[in-house]
Amino acid sequence: MAGQLEFELREPPRRVALNVTQLVRVVRETLEVQLDEYWVNGEVSNLRRAASNHLYFTLKDSRSAISVVMFSSAGRRLRFRLADGMQVVVRGRVNLYEARGTLQFYAEEIEPRGLGALQLAFDQLKQRLQAEGLFDAAHKRALPRLPRTIGIVTALGGAALRDILRVMLDRYPNLHLLIRPAPVQGPTAAAAIVAALEDLNRDGRAEIIIASRGGGSLEDLWPFNEEIVARAIRRSKIPVVSAVGHEIDYTITDFAADLRAPTPSAAAQMVVPIKAEMRRYLDRIATTIASATRATIEGDRRHLAHLRARLRDPRMLLRQLRQRLDDTTMELRRALATQVARRRAEVRDRESRLRYPAAACAIVAADRRRVNGLRDRLHAVIRALAANRRQRLSAVAQRLDAVSPLRVLDRGYAVVTRADDRTLVTDARQVEVGDDLAIRVARGRIRARTTAREM
Amino acid sequence: MAEKNLPKFEEELEDLEAVVTQIDSGDLSLEESIGAFERGVALVRSLNQKLDEADRRIEVLTRDAAGDLRVAPYDHDPGPGELDDDTSDDDLPE
Repeated sequence: MAGQLEFELREPPRRVALNVTQLVRVVRETLEVQLDEYWVNGEVSNLRRAASNHLYFTLKDSRSAISVVMFSSAGRRLRFRLADGMQVVVRGRVNLYEARGTLQFYAEEIEPRGLGALQLAFDQLKQRLQAEGLFDAAHKRALPRLPRTIGIVTALGGAALRDILRVMLDRYPNLHLLIRPAPVQGPTAAAAIVAALEDLNRDGRAEIIIASRGGGSLEDLWPFNEEIVARAIRRSKIPVVSAVGHEIDYTITDFAADLRAPTPSAAAQMVVPIKAEMRRYLDRIATTIASATRATIEGDRRHLAHLRARLRDPRMLLRQLRQRLDDTTMELRRALATQVARRRAEVRDRESRLRYPAAACAIVAADRRRVNGLRDRLHAVIRALAANRRQRLSAVAQRLDAVSPLRVLDRGYAVVTRADDRTLVTDARQVEVGDDLAIRVARGRIRARTTAREM
Repeated sequence: MAEKNLPKFEEELEDLEAVVTQIDSGDLSLEESIGAFERGVALVRSLNQKLDEADRRIEVLTRDAAGDLRVAPYDHDPGPGELDDDTSDDDLPE
């Protein structure tokens, strides 16, 4: 390429002078046509961040250097903070900065060297296990407040173990700790951590397991980002606390564990209570319940005293009842008398009211007298009438008697009738000789036979 | 799991806290509150015992060649060969 450039610049035989701008543009266009996109390894130096948030630094190796610009649009995608001295791999294109005629590398993407693949693996695994539900809050178990035995998975002699032991025994001197040593970095570490978790589960005494290591590079922490470790933690019957690296380090183990502690010391604090505090807490509870119970008893005693004060001698009560009975009886009698008097007065009142309209009574009496008079007169009239009739009847009877034929017979006259048909014989021609005649005289009857007749 | 039949510390602690809540509520009769008090005192005693129950014991669990688990007391002075080069997290305030 250098030869080509040399050739082109040397080519024009005639003295046709370009101005600088033209020259720079020729170079730029040549570069743009000839050079592809590259990944470049190097060390970051002289890093500056402009007000525009564009990043400027020099990428160098032992023999060469090139200035790099990363515009803020690309810089926003950086997952980590760039620093001087950092070994990185940068993707971008070479071009010319026309204003100064200097060569520049325009960076699109920067990764920490050697860790790009790991980071990618971390992100992918985290995403996959998360989608699978391995990190779900529902899996997280509660930790016992005072574990009888605490299992620890870490490297013997490591800083993590030292910190954990120091903090734990400080908080709680008589602890039972069961350390299951395992290398915490290097290619065999992940499998060893898995075996350690399984062994503590087999042993079964531990009530909590702390899986821990101190700080280190992402590569150092890598065993705690392995899928087999995450799955072994989820498989563990014993709750697992993950305490890996420093506060800022997050591992897959942290997400899979029942609890994430930011550091090994913090794990010890979270798992083990301070014995003295625990003791004080219990003492405080004992005091509380004692005083509360005493208050209850005292309250009940007061209540009892109050009740007793209200309770009286039953004989007294009886006497009182008796007196009340007497009172009531007397009252009853009084009331009865009053009632009777009242009723009596009422009756009198009605009576007097009944008697009061004398006029009405007088009218009634007068009427009665009139009625009686009329009745008497009626009777008299009827009697008189009757007497009159009787007189007249007797007179008629005398007159009737006077004209009775039977009276004539007394004077010797007789009544002659035919014997056969009782017809009155007033004419001699009514009879024949030999006919029987019946003759009635004043007293009795005579039977006679016609012997002769005279006309 | 050994001693699993014994009530766990936190179970007793929860019982105790329930007893305190009961007594505090003031809803208990005299007999009930005395009963609750006696239970509370027994729980406090039992919990205090549990605090002292364990001996300080630091053990190391290992697997032998046959794959069987072995328990040995922890040697506080580990050999230099066992040291891993992880750094301490002394940035934590104690």
